Amino acid sequence: MTLTQARPAAPAAGQPVAARGRPRRPRVFGAAVTVAVIGVFAFGPVYWLLVTALTPDGDAFTFPPRLWPRSVTLEHFANLADNPALGRYLANSLIVSLLTAVLTVIVAAYTGYSFAKFRYRGRRSLMYLVLASQMFPQALLLITLYLVFSATGLLNTYLALILSFTTFTLPLCVWMLKGFFDTIPDELIEAAKVDGAGQGAIIHRILLPISLPGLVATGLFAFIRGWNDFIFALTLAGPQKQTLPPGLVNTYLGEFQAAWPDLMAASLVVSLPVVLGFVLLQRYLVAGLTSGAVKG
Amino acid sequence: MPPLSFSASQPSGPTPLTRRSLFRLTGAVLGAGALAACAPSTSDSDSDSSSGDSGGKDFKFTAWSLNEASTKDALQSLVDTYASGAGAKITTASYPYNDYLNQVLLQVRGGTLTGAVQLDVAWLATLAATGKLVDLSSYAGGGYTDAALGIAKVKGTQYGLPWTTAGIGLIGNSELLDKAGVTTPPKTIEEFEQVLRALKGLGGGVVPWAAMTKVDQLKDFIAWMWAFGSPVVADGQVVVGDDASVEALTWYKKLYDEKLIAPDVNRFDARALFAQGKVGFYEDAIAGRGAVTKASPDKELASKLLPVSRPVRAAADKPRHLAWGHAVAVLQGEGSEAAAKFAAALTSDPKYTGPWFTKAGLPPTTTSGLASAEVQNDKFTKDFTAAIGAFSEPDPLWVYPQFAQIEKVLADQVQAVLLGKASPKEGLAAAKEQMQGLVK
Repeated sequence: MTLTQARPAAPAAGQPVAARGRPRRPRVFGAAVTVAVIGVFAFGPVYWLLVTALTPDGDAFTFPPRLWPRSVTLEHFANLADNPALGRYLANSLIVSLLTAVLTVIVAAYTGYSFAKFRYRGRRSLMYLVLASQMFPQALLLITLYLVFSATGLLNTYLALILSFTTFTLPLCVWMLKGFFDTIPDELIEAAKVDGAGQGAIIHRILLPISLPGLVATGLFAFIRGWNDFIFALTLAGPQKQTLPPGLVNTYLGEFQAAWPDLMAASLVVSLPVVLGFVLLQRYLVAGLTSGAVKG
Repeated sequence: MPPLSFSASQPSGPTPLTRRSLFRLTGAVLGAGALAACAPSTSDSDSDSSSGDSGGKDFKFTAWSLNEASTKDALQSLVDTYASGAGAKITTASYPYNDYLNQVLLQVRGGTLTGAVQLDVAWLATLAATGKLVDLSSYAGGGYTDAALGIAKVKGTQYGLPWTTAGIGLIGNSELLDKAGVTTPPKTIEEFEQVLRALKGLGGGVVPWAAMTKVDQLKDFIAWMWAFGSPVVADGQVVVGDDASVEALTWYKKLYDEKLIAPDVNRFDARALFAQGKVGFYEDAIAGRGAVTKASPDKELASKLLPVSRPVRAAADKPRHLAWGHAVAVLQGEGSEAAAKFAAALTSDPKYTGPWFTKAGLPPTTTSGLASAEVQNDKFTKDFTAAIGAFSEPDPLWVYPQFAQIEKVLADQVQAVLLGKASPKEGLAAAKEQMQGLVK
């Protein structure tokens, strides 16, 4: 390879030559624009939710829509006090989502460990089978699950929701944790074995403590799945165990009503505890999601 | 690395209860307890199928109106009144309107739903096809109008008791019509077009007619095919694509191209635009009044609502509107007799129909109820009933359990024509073929 070939190509005649050091400005500008666009995508819906919640009923449907409300009201937040069912929906959502997260993490941790650190006949097939189960449209399973839960008397219970959500979150969570466990050097496990540790001690006293970010990330993923679900919660939970998504829709949207400002106010308020929880745990989430991404 | 010590490698003998093992044990017990707590309890009324049975008086009542802000308090009050009067326990349940039919169907097929259920009259045939609805003919003597009883029948059997019926028709904004110089409502399609052009001339972003142009509500087009002379269904055969229906769609497309009707509008959009005083006409059921007045900054909008009969081709033609309404059906099984008595009382006894109209704005279905002072003194209801309700007929596709799929096929093709992807003749020919395939 010659020196000439290694040099950058000379600019064609007539093209402007950028001054040394100047290309940085467009790069910074481009990055700023990119961040701004992503910011709008990320926070635009939240902003719209807030604006709608603060807009009086008569102004909420103004056409064309106003980005900045003409007048502001807190009446939609005050209306929440008239709806005691919201507290029940929130409690149901928290119970179902937390238990789904815990159950998912427990099962996914052992399964992921098995896939990551053991070699046995059928392991690879089993791994792909677990992944393949994620490919089925979940709505397809709704009728089957309804009939199964109905026959077993589990319909209209928390357990019906927790079991169905766990079933759907497990495949991806198993693979998430397998990826995480893959990054843990086998030498660490070998050293523990040399020191006389059994499998139980290895997984409980070594592997799981150092995998905390991965476990938290997996748990948060499972939590979100349980928190956001609409159709399974609507169908399997019954009126008393209904979670927030169907509860809010049932309360604010109907044949002749679309109480968007009330719905937005309720959504905002019930989201706050979860947002706070995520803010506290976000460092685990980021660490957990990224560390499993690169095999070390 | 310092050597690790594990309890597993320690010599056998009694293992002391360490803080760690105690923590594990507590965790395991709590976890098991939490899951057990989520399992069905014998005292859980939701899952106890026998809890509603005491001498056949108790039953379930499922209704979407039990959860909608505009109706829930009024309906719960009626249910409580009936329950205390009859000495019955009525267990209530509710699902969002848009998911209601699927939820009810699933529960009926799963054998978990009994008692009385509120239904849109459009859904009766679908529910009747499950074979689980009770024939309520013996409860239909409460003074219902013949028209109301008719829309709650499926193939001649009274599977529902009509609770409220009206039609879906044009509602005008009298203030905008005055501004446009329109002194009398249009009677013919030609006059209607002229009025729409006058409304467009007002400018200021006024949509002359917020007609349905989104697929989810394009079933409204069936009434316009009627207006042009197409029966839509004749002798069990779909006749969409005949000359009259093609003429209707050609007209609809012309208005769309001239921007006399707006693109991408469904009922919710139309109500929102109408509430803002930006729409000359839109089509809705009688209960739409509550939605538009609540969403409007104009506190006087209610007095500006003008129900208008559907324009016809010749002045002597009879206007036709798609019927709309609610019925109460009863499912076979536990408490069905008690539920049927409740359904009859709720839908025909003035003790219940009067307050229901006053609080929810939904007109009764009995002759005496319609003649009552509260209904007669409500100008909008009276005008709507005279202009629209009196000329309402069931959608000819409702008799098919798969009516929703059939309507969607039609709506898809009408929208394709509006968007210029097919000519009216091609679009309706394709619709006919697919619709007939679903009817068989």
